[in-house]
Amino acid sequence: MKNLLKKELKLATSPLAWFFLAASLLTFVPGYPILLGAFFVCMGIYQSFQAANLANDVLYTALLPVRKADTVAAKYISSCFFELVSFCLCAVFTVIRMTLMSGSPVYQKNALMNATPVFLAGLLLIFALFNLIFLGGFFRTAYKTGRPFLIFIIVTMLFTGVAESLHFFPGMSWLNDPAGSRMGVQLAALAAAAVIYAALTLISEKRSEIRFEALDL
Amino acid sequence: MSETNMNEYVLEVSGLRKVYPKFELRDVSFRVPRGCIMGFIGRNGAGKTTTIKSVLGLVHPNEGSVRFFGMDLAENEQAIKQRIGYAGGAVDYFSRKKIRDIVAVTKLFYGNWDEEAYRRYMEAFSLDEEKAPGQLSEGMKVKLNLTLALSHRAELLILDEPTSGLDPVSRDELLDIFRALRAKGVSILFSTHITSDLDKCADSITYIKKGEILASDTMEAFVGSSREAGFGNDLEEIMLHYEKEDYLEKLA
Repeated sequence: MKNLLKKELKLATSPLAWFFLAASLLTFVPGYPILLGAFFVCMGIYQSFQAANLANDVLYTALLPVRKADTVAAKYISSCFFELVSFCLCAVFTVIRMTLMSGSPVYQKNALMNATPVFLAGLLLIFALFNLIFLGGFFRTAYKTGRPFLIFIIVTMLFTGVAESLHFFPGMSWLNDPAGSRMGVQLAALAAAAVIYAALTLISEKRSEIRFEALDL
Repeated sequence: MSETNMNEYVLEVSGLRKVYPKFELRDVSFRVPRGCIMGFIGRNGAGKTTTIKSVLGLVHPNEGSVRFFGMDLAENEQAIKQRIGYAGGAVDYFSRKKIRDIVAVTKLFYGNWDEEAYRRYMEAFSLDEEKAPGQLSEGMKVKLNLTLALSHRAELLILDEPTSGLDPVSRDELLDIFRALRAKGVSILFSTHITSDLDKCADSITYIKKGEILASDTMEAFVGSSREAGFGNDLEEIMLHYEKEDYLEKLA
C-alpha cells in the first residue's frame, strides 16, 4: 500500500491538485459562498484522474504485482489526503476568522455562510459527496470521469445553494452564528458530518473494490 | 501439475472462453515452453489481444484456466507478476514523466529488482533517463518496456504486437534482442500479424482465427505440415491461405 501511495503522489497526481488546495483560502473572502472552496479542491483531484487516464495509469497499475483492492484503496486514500489537507487549512482559517478577525467590518454583514464549525461540516459533506459520486462512479468503468464529475457538480451546487441559505429559515440562525455562542451545537454538527464523511467514503470504497475486481480492463 | 511440466512450460493456457456481444473466444489452449519464442499470430480482430489480456488477468474469462510456472494465475497473481513482463506496442505509461521518476516508483514493487541489469539495458538500448516516454520513438518505447521487465528479472515476456508501427531497421534490431534474450533463457510470447518477424525468430507458433486456435505447434512442424498440405511455404503464404477473402470474385 505504501508503494502504491508513492505511485499516486509521484506519478498519478496532477500539479493542479496541489494548486487547487489554495482554494481553501476562499474561507477568508467576505460575501462569497465559501463552501465552494471544497468544490475547487475536488476539481483538482478530478484533474489528477484525468491526467492519470491519459497516462494509462490503470493499466500500468493492473500489471504491477499488487492486489486490485489495494489499487482502489490507494486512489481513495490519496483523494482523502487532499480533502483532509484542505479541511485542516480551512479549520485553521476558520479559527482565525472567529478570533483574530471577528471584529472585522467586512464579516459583520455577511448574507452567506460564515466561517464556523458548521462551515467545516459543510466542507466534509461536499468531500463525502465527491467520494461517493465521483470516485464511486469512476470505478464503474475505471476510465470514465466526465459523467460522474458532472453529476457531482449538479449535486454539489444544489447542496451549496441550500447550505449557504439555510440559516435564513426560522429556527436555523444558530447555523451561522460567528460569535461562538452556539459553539456546542455547531461542533455537534461538525462531528455528525465527520461520521457521515467517514461512512460514505468507506461504503463507496468497498463498493468500488468489488466493481474494480469484476471489471474487464 | 507434475514437476516435469512445471519446469517445461512457463505458461499453460487451457480452455479459455470469453464471450462478448459481438465476439467470442472459444476453447483457447496453448503452452509456452521454457526458453522459447512463441509467435502468436492471427488477423486484426482474431482475438490475440483478448487472449493476452485474459492471460494477464486484465479480463475475466467465462471459462478456462491460466497457469504460469505451474501456478494458477487466480491464486498466485502477485507472485506470478513478479516473474513476468508485459509490453504492448502502442501503449506507454506516464508519457510526460521522466523515465528516472517512473523507474524510481516501478522498482519499489519488485523484490528482485536488479539495478545493475537496469543500468546495463539502459546503456545497451541508448535510453536516456532524463527523457520522458513521450519523447521516445516507438521502437525506443518498446525497448524501455523491455528494460523495465528485464530489470526485475522477468522469466517470461508477453509482448502484444511490439513490432507494429516500427521501421524495418528497428524491427530487425528488436528481433535480435529477442534472440539474445532467448539465449539467456528468457521465454517470449509475441503476438503479431507481421509474419516475416516470426520467420526470423520464432520457435513455435500459435495461430488464432476468429477466436479459435487453428494450430499450436513448433515452427518446423507447423510450416512443414502446411507445406505438405499445399497451404504455402512460409507463414505469410499459410496465413493468406487461411484468411484471404476473394474480393475480386465478391465485388465482380
